Amino acid sequence: MRLSLRPMLLTFVLTGVMLLGGCATPPPADDPDAVAEFKENNDPLEPTNRVFYAVNDALDVVILKPVALGYRAVVPSPLRTGVHNALSNLGAPLTLANDVMQARPARARVTLTRFVINSTLGAGGLFDVATDMGWPAHDSDFGMTLAVWGVPDGAFLFLPVLGPSNPRDATGFGVDTFALDPWGWIGKGDTVKDLRLVRTGLSAVDARTAVLDDFDKLRAQALDPYATVRSAARQYRHRKVDDARNDVTGEALKKSP
Amino acid sequence: MITRRFLLSSTAVAAFTVPARADAADTAQSFIANLARELIAVANGPTSGADKQAALEKLIDRDVDIATVARFCLGRFWRTATPDQQRDYGALFRAVMVRNITSKVGEYKGVTMDVGKAQAREDDVAVSSVVTRPGNAPNKVDWIVGTAGGAPRIIDVVAEGTSLRLTQRSDYAAFLASHGNNVQALIDAMRAQAAGKS
Repeated sequence: MRLSLRPMLLTFVLTGVMLLGGCATPPPADDPDAVAEFKENNDPLEPTNRVFYAVNDALDVVILKPVALGYRAVVPSPLRTGVHNALSNLGAPLTLANDVMQARPARARVTLTRFVINSTLGAGGLFDVATDMGWPAHDSDFGMTLAVWGVPDGAFLFLPVLGPSNPRDATGFGVDTFALDPWGWIGKGDTVKDLRLVRTGLSAVDARTAVLDDFDKLRAQALDPYATVRSAARQYRHRKVDDARNDVTGEALKKSP
Repeated sequence: MITRRFLLSSTAVAAFTVPARADAADTAQSFIANLARELIAVANGPTSGADKQAALEKLIDRDVDIATVARFCLGRFWRTATPDQQRDYGALFRAVMVRNITSKVGEYKGVTMDVGKAQAREDDVAVSSVVTRPGNAPNKVDWIVGTAGGAPRIIDVVAEGTSLRLTQRSDYAAFLASHGNNVQALIDAMRAQAAGKS
């Protein structure tokens, strides 16, 4: 039943694409530079993507950004860090599953160690003592697993709510959320459902708060924010996949002297 | 036979090039380590915001190869721009860059930077670092150092895998695409940015 949501999302996106009927017009073939640029952008659905970008931007201005600003203003920093750590710790089983499916021993060991240390010494994940002990976090998801398995990312997609993506990573997100994440199978009843909603909501606010300065600056300084986000998001993702391929673990916090 | 000759010659080549490349890497690394010390001294210094901005601007002019970065960011349109446009664009590129970097200098208080390994690449050297701001997760930042003009200078900054010059070039290319590939339109938009209307 959970799995049925993914085709639903896909249908939603496809319907949106067809309704808007947007396909980017390729440049004339006698302009090789323009053709090269068009291929590099790999964004055949650009007109549609731009519509979703504008929609997300509007939603962000009205809902997510004010909430994130309020969260940052009202909740003291140590508590926000605690929330972030707890959410990150809740994500550890999913990270571990993907590390293992990617067959990346160093990363899998770090994730497992982090989960054990932070769930116990870190008071159920509120404190990230593992990073202080030399076990820094890294990201791992099913989109990266697919990449390590050799699946190319495909054309750029800007999805409603989810933001910059591509067919591979959007599929990965669906698999992670609706199939792989153990917190999706454990427990039942209204309380569990509520807890899941709280987690999703807090994750969104936590993630938005983390990029309040940097991401907003990036967008404010761009002449074409959509194109800037497209380029930056894709490069960022490529690096994440490279790190997974090379079994690179996270950045250890150096103690300042 | 071929193998032996090949091995000999490649050993000879390696003997000459490896020290040179190692030198370039060392030079780039101490260049970045030095800059990091100065940047952090400015960010955490006791001076006023305006003084910090002026000090930062000096460091940018000294250590960033602005002309090279500017030309890269305009991509194929550099060739179609007139000499006047190239000059205007170059000056505005510098102005916008300085403005973007210095305008938030207050946010950099408490920042630390650990300079890591340097890796010689085909035409430049990548110096890795970890930049940590209070209340933020540590960021992996690579400094791409070119030595085209003799002295080492920064030609790109790659934050968490995102190259600033590549991202900037995409931005300009998209703007130009939606403005009839008219470089003058870009220059006008940059003039507004430099004046603070971004």
